[in-house]
Amino acid sequence: MSKRVARIALLFLLAGSLWAFQRGIRNLFPDSDDETPPADGNEKAEFMWARLRYSNFQGGGGMWARRGAWTVDYPKADRQFLQGVRRLTRLQTRSMEHIVDLISDDIFDYPFVYAVEVGHWSLPDAQARKLREFTDRGGFLMTDDFHGTFEWDVFTTSLNKGFGDRPITDIENDDPIFHVVFDLNDRVQVPGIVNYPFTTQTYEYDGFEPKWRAVRDDKGRIVVGICHNMDQGDAWEWADSPRYPEKYASQAYRTGINYIIYAMTH
Amino acid sequence: MFEFLFNYPLTVYRKGTLVLASGWPPWLLGALVLAAGALVAWLFLRKPLPRQRALALGGLQWAAIALLLLMLWQPAVSVSQLKPQQNVVAVVVDTSRSMALEERIGKATGLLDSGLLEQLKKRFPVRLYGAARDLSRLESLPAQATQAVTNLGASLQGATGEAATLPIGAIVLLSDGADNAGGLDSSTMAALRRSRIPIHTIGFGRERMDRDLEITDAQIPVRSLPDARLSATVTLRQSGYAGKPVRLTVQDGGKTLATREIRLPDDGQSSREVISFQSGPAGAKAVRVSLAVLDGETNDKNNAVTRLVNVEDRKPRILYFEGEPRWEMKFIRRAAELDANLELVSIVRTTQNKFYRQGVTDPKELEHGFPDSIEELFRYQGIIIGNVEAGYFNPQQQSLLKEFADRRGGGVLFLGGRATLSDGGWNHSPAADMLPVLLADRKGTFHREPAAVELTVAGRDSLVTRVEESPDKNMAKWKSLPMIADYQETGAAKPGALVLAEFHPTSGGRFPLLATQNFGRGRVAVFATGGSWRWQMGQDSKDMSHEVFWQQLLRWLVSDVSGRVAAVTTRQVYEDEPRIVIQAGVRDMNYLPSADATVEAHILGPGGVAGVVPLRPVTGVPGAYTGEWLAEAPGAYLTEIVAKQGETELGRDVLNFRREDGVAENFRTEQNRELLERIAQQTGGRYYKPEDAGRLPQEIEYSDAGISVKETHGIWNTPAAFLLFAGMKAAEWLLRRKWGAV
Repeated sequence: MSKRVARIALLFLLAGSLWAFQRGIRNLFPDSDDETPPADGNEKAEFMWARLRYSNFQGGGGMWARRGAWTVDYPKADRQFLQGVRRLTRLQTRSMEHIVDLISDDIFDYPFVYAVEVGHWSLPDAQARKLREFTDRGGFLMTDDFHGTFEWDVFTTSLNKGFGDRPITDIENDDPIFHVVFDLNDRVQVPGIVNYPFTTQTYEYDGFEPKWRAVRDDKGRIVVGICHNMDQGDAWEWADSPRYPEKYASQAYRTGINYIIYAMTH
Repeated sequence: MFEFLFNYPLTVYRKGTLVLASGWPPWLLGALVLAAGALVAWLFLRKPLPRQRALALGGLQWAAIALLLLMLWQPAVSVSQLKPQQNVVAVVVDTSRSMALEERIGKATGLLDSGLLEQLKKRFPVRLYGAARDLSRLESLPAQATQAVTNLGASLQGATGEAATLPIGAIVLLSDGADNAGGLDSSTMAALRRSRIPIHTIGFGRERMDRDLEITDAQIPVRSLPDARLSATVTLRQSGYAGKPVRLTVQDGGKTLATREIRLPDDGQSSREVISFQSGPAGAKAVRVSLAVLDGETNDKNNAVTRLVNVEDRKPRILYFEGEPRWEMKFIRRAAELDANLELVSIVRTTQNKFYRQGVTDPKELEHGFPDSIEELFRYQGIIIGNVEAGYFNPQQQSLLKEFADRRGGGVLFLGGRATLSDGGWNHSPAADMLPVLLADRKGTFHREPAAVELTVAGRDSLVTRVEESPDKNMAKWKSLPMIADYQETGAAKPGALVLAEFHPTSGGRFPLLATQNFGRGRVAVFATGGSWRWQMGQDSKDMSHEVFWQQLLRWLVSDVSGRVAAVTTRQVYEDEPRIVIQAGVRDMNYLPSADATVEAHILGPGGVAGVVPLRPVTGVPGAYTGEWLAEAPGAYLTEIVAKQGETELGRDVLNFRREDGVAENFRTEQNRELLERIAQQTGGRYYKPEDAGRLPQEIEYSDAGISVKETHGIWNTPAAFLLFAGMKAAEWLLRRKWGAV
């Protein structure tokens, strides 16, 4: 009995420590309450950053379950990244994100779609088929911020409903997606803020190695750009924080820009 | 009746000139007529008569006096008349194959045999000739018409040429007028006129067939890219089958390329049908366009024609310059990538200091951005200017862009965008001259608003906008396309430009979406949007309308772009005509006309026929060269034209032509009365129907050709003159009685 109590106490202790640790990190990286749209947020522009809204896998998603895993880093990451896109490229982009889903057909008006925490998504068959149709017409999906074996399996379970005939392959270093604007030969794992202070560990779960993977179409063009075991979203969101290392933020910006320009040229 | 009233046949009056045989001065006649008029007026106006009655009675009396005075001066007709038995009459019988139709040759020989020839022989020595490719002497009337060619011009010139050794007084031509060797051009007609020998024509054959279907023409581009969509514009006419359906088919060596059912026009009417087909792989194609043979057709050999298409083994390169990343570029690239016969090289300014190049063949290509030299720019066949301001290009590049179309003969396409056309300052660029639309002199012409698109009448017929085979389905398809994402206002189309499609913004108005025009040697188009990618993203992935449209627009841009040597033959198919004329335009390394080139045509024909023809410069036309060759054997010929400047080869061009014998005779087989009448009228002869030809022997006498004498025939004593005088006096008497003015 005493052993059992000791185990429960230890569990509470660990959980409490984790909670305290995370609360501490949250204090260091406080969520912005300012969701006021930018002044030019409704400007009509050539490029619109579209964030995919989806249903959560088995109601999971941890602290984001209530809002939905798709909202992670939203909207600060999107808006802060778009500022960088404006500054670093000639792309005319709207400063504010746009939410799309796979229920309506609105997604077809936004050929570039970003999906975060796809290790928690759950796409019904019809939505997975619509996602396939979206890429078949010429759309591009960028996925981000999911880690380890379990989330990979969740991700591919839904993806394969629409892309079962398409293998997922690693993207080679010489692929245009790593050179279309910035040369990204020397890439590192971009950590989420949970890895603060980023000194000993940049991975989550068993996602030790960052993986840049892709689903390609018949012509060999990347139509789904999969960023596994990394977190560009956090890097964009906290690029303005002195606590988030610049080298990760810079790479995340360059990666995001390369993915967008690749999607607009291939 | 005419001869009874006027003493002589009508021909005497037609051919003769009016003279006064009394020898008295004509001025005296005029003076007396005027004096008589004055006297009559003085007498009648003094009488107590209403003015109108006085004028009517006085006028009749004055006319009678004038007629009497005219008769005193002894009017006569002076006419040249052939001396009997001293002039030869050439009787020319058309012996070409079309005369075998409807037993025309039998009717012609029958007419001659039934007395006409005898009548002529009574007055003149007669020589018989046959008319086909040229004139031939006949000893007897021809029994059959078997010759493959009718060249009436050459035959008649041969007949008039006999006048050098014979006193030819007149020519009688018995023909259906179905000339198939190019017709009688103005110089041939002038030569016939100069001979002053009247040509009398007798026409045979129906002027319109009862039941016949004929392809009168088929226009097909002579050059094409591989697997291009081509259109055949087929002109046909029919009689006896109004409103009936018939199948129109395009074939290449027995393989059907396209077929569809058409409905025939009204009797005697021509109609035009357009059928499109794929050109297929590279090579010389003999494309056969045919109409199904209908029951009871008089002539079933005129239902098909053959045309040549040279499907060139080349892959034109198009340079697409984009000022900033745009979705339009991605989707245009994707459409072009599906076309194995186009190469799209693109360059986009991704950042302020970076370009991203795609489709380049070596790392050096376009490494400095948009080319600023002829060598670099003119190696492309087409250019697309995306969303980029005019000011980005230096003055030399802007001039080169214009020269690219004007001098190089390339195709230039301007897309709409927030920084182009008027909003990009192109309205103040020298390149504005080349645009098919006027540009507004203001900014703010680009709108990110949805707009519906619709084809214009010109767009309905254009292959550029043909995404569905049937024109009606195509119109409907365009109407059903998703709205474009943005549009740019332009001014109206320039004179000579074609607007193929328009857009209707949801906010109202109507503006050109796709406008095209030729500019110099090249062509230019404006596609005033950067948002046609919605046609791809807004439709099922299996829908190919976006891809097909862009492939066709890009192909249109570069399909007719030639190199430094561009050669043509005067005709694609030489029917019964062995003389081949080759013309070539030659440009130097800077695409300026080259006047000092050495140009040769190397010809390969059927059965190993080969020849080399040097082409000579055409006087007064820099860069133009021409040469002739005789292609005797029927069949397909391949010609390669090579131009050199010194030891440097400027370029080469390949063309095809075809020789056919005996095919043309099956076409236009109705009697060409208009031609026969024109020959007669121009030479002073007459056209006769066979049933009227009995008058010919008498009327033929009046001619000033050959050995003739001038005869003067008095006409003062004609019954017509007496009746006219009596009639005027009787009318005067009746009026006097009626009005009590005796």
